[in-house]
Amino acid sequence: MEFFANFIAGFNVALQPLNFMFCFLGVFIGTLIGVLPGIGPVGTMAILLPVTYGIPPTTAIIMLAGIYYGAQYGGSTTSILVNIPGEAASVVTTLDGYQMAKNGRAGPALGIAAFGSFIAGTIAVIGLQLLAPPLVTVALRFGPPEYFSLMILGFVILTYLAQKSMAKALMMAGVGIILGTVGLDTMTGMPRFTFNIPELLDGVGLAPLAMGLFGISEILLNVEKKIKQELITTKVRGIFPNLEDWRRSIGAILRGTGLGFFLGILPGGGAVLSSFVSYAVEKRISKHPEDFGRGAIEGVAAPESANNSAAQGAFIPLLTLGIPANVVMAILLGALMIHNITPGPMLVKDHPQLFWGVISSMYMGNIMLLVLNLPLIGLWVQLLRVPYNILFPMILFVCVIGAYVINNSTVDVSLMLLFGVVGYLMRKFEYEPAPLVLAYVLAPMLENALRQSLILSGGSFGIFMVRPISAGCLLVAAALLFSSLLPMIRRRREEIVAEAEEDE
Amino acid sequence: MQAERAGTLFWLAVGMFSIYGSIRLGLGTLREPGSGFLSFLAGCFISLVAITIFLQTFFRKPKAHSKLKALWAEVNWHRPVTISLLALGFILLLERGGFILAGFLLLLILFRWLEKFSWKKSVIIPAITLGFAYLLFNVFLKATLPKGFFGF
Repeated sequence: MEFFANFIAGFNVALQPLNFMFCFLGVFIGTLIGVLPGIGPVGTMAILLPVTYGIPPTTAIIMLAGIYYGAQYGGSTTSILVNIPGEAASVVTTLDGYQMAKNGRAGPALGIAAFGSFIAGTIAVIGLQLLAPPLVTVALRFGPPEYFSLMILGFVILTYLAQKSMAKALMMAGVGIILGTVGLDTMTGMPRFTFNIPELLDGVGLAPLAMGLFGISEILLNVEKKIKQELITTKVRGIFPNLEDWRRSIGAILRGTGLGFFLGILPGGGAVLSSFVSYAVEKRISKHPEDFGRGAIEGVAAPESANNSAAQGAFIPLLTLGIPANVVMAILLGALMIHNITPGPMLVKDHPQLFWGVISSMYMGNIMLLVLNLPLIGLWVQLLRVPYNILFPMILFVCVIGAYVINNSTVDVSLMLLFGVVGYLMRKFEYEPAPLVLAYVLAPMLENALRQSLILSGGSFGIFMVRPISAGCLLVAAALLFSSLLPMIRRRREEIVAEAEEDE
Repeated sequence: MQAERAGTLFWLAVGMFSIYGSIRLGLGTLREPGSGFLSFLAGCFISLVAITIFLQTFFRKPKAHSKLKALWAEVNWHRPVTISLLALGFILLLERGGFILAGFLLLLILFRWLEKFSWKKSVIIPAITLGFAYLLFNVFLKATLPKGFFGF
């Protein structure tokens, strides 16, 4: 009964004209950047953060969420038609999607990607709606030690699953923590690492940091080499998969949905990981694994379903615990905090319209995406023809103006440019920016939890081990760190990463 | 120099700076951690990992592309440098020259001289972009954009 009451209350919020419009805008932009190579959802959300300052928080989160799951839909288009993934979660779709397109089956490949995404997205939203309230009840029992240990576990899982070196990813998390401490200490009022710059008293802004590390650095990296755009020239027709396609895909869609949802909930998990895992599972259980890589429709259906499901599952830890599972959720957390809303177990009680409104908007968003991605596929194909050298100056310009309007200050723009150059160098030297941003966002919470725990225990670190949930999180984190040091396991992990890179 | 070594030396410097700054801020006690406590721990951690990676480079067989120079060997490195400098110029001009002048100059230089578009395209595309940005930020979001000495 409560489920339906929340369902209706959420729809009342989501269907308000402003929210409806921004939901459409979000999924439209998401599809657009999913289609266009060279800019991903993280960069886009960072660039659009300043835009959300002028709109109500529920509307802002509805739009940003729409960009995230919309990009999962759009990403498949370039993977299938151009063999270039629009964003990382669609990398694995290129393997069979492009082969299907080359065999003249681009239509059914795009169709199953869109239908699979819709089915997965819708089931995942129902899962989110059912799972979030009981998790909130559990989360209410969490104290500072549990929060601290959970955040440490999140860092370790994120770095364990890092594409490059785990040590480097851990180091970046450390840098993120230092950046997160910049500004006035909330407990003592002492300015930290501000270098006498008054604008830094409020800390380094999330928008300049994320825009620099993801938006500007992406531009700098892309312009140093030519982006090849080879387009399938044949017309895309027959987007509705036939009965045989459905028979082969439905199991893959459902398995991808389940896997994606649970991998999305895991700290450090998300759309990218789930798409790779679901593809590997399908290949392993298939009676014809030799078809994979040669245009097997299951190889498109499974990862596309998984990445959409994961995109929605990732909202669970953010909305219930206030802890972002990945960097996209970290940006959403930052957006909420900009509006003075602290996500966590109290969110559902204090801001029910936001909590249920955002969830309900996802149902609408999924329907909008189906309409955007099937009948309008021709439009997205045309957009693929827009060269990157027209796009990047515009993106750069929106970034610099966006960073300026946050505080009407050139300090934010300068910081964004600085982080852009640092982010560019980080990518050149194979340091990932995602752990840095996640740690930066979590640093104030981590610091409060650590200080409160130590005050509670009278200065003893033992408090983290005597409480079961906290001890459990730390033990899992320690086991993961230890396993990464074992040569045999480490070699296997490196092999998985190498395989993923080869696929890219 | 090996790229890995150069990278870790940079982060080691960041870690050491954080340790120094944190000690100056005050570490407090375990019963009552001070303002520099967490950044001190983070600084120690970064330095430790950086030293470990740095030392590892002496025991690993260097790869062919592991030199610092190799990172920019097969790419147009001058393009990201030019764009960064142009963005810096834009920042310096923005409040003095105003949003329209600074923005138009930035986009014109990017399209005309860096991307070699025709004059017609190099004027039309920036004009459309400026119009869109003005509508989005000034009209729609009611943000104040700098007008500069020309007053527009």
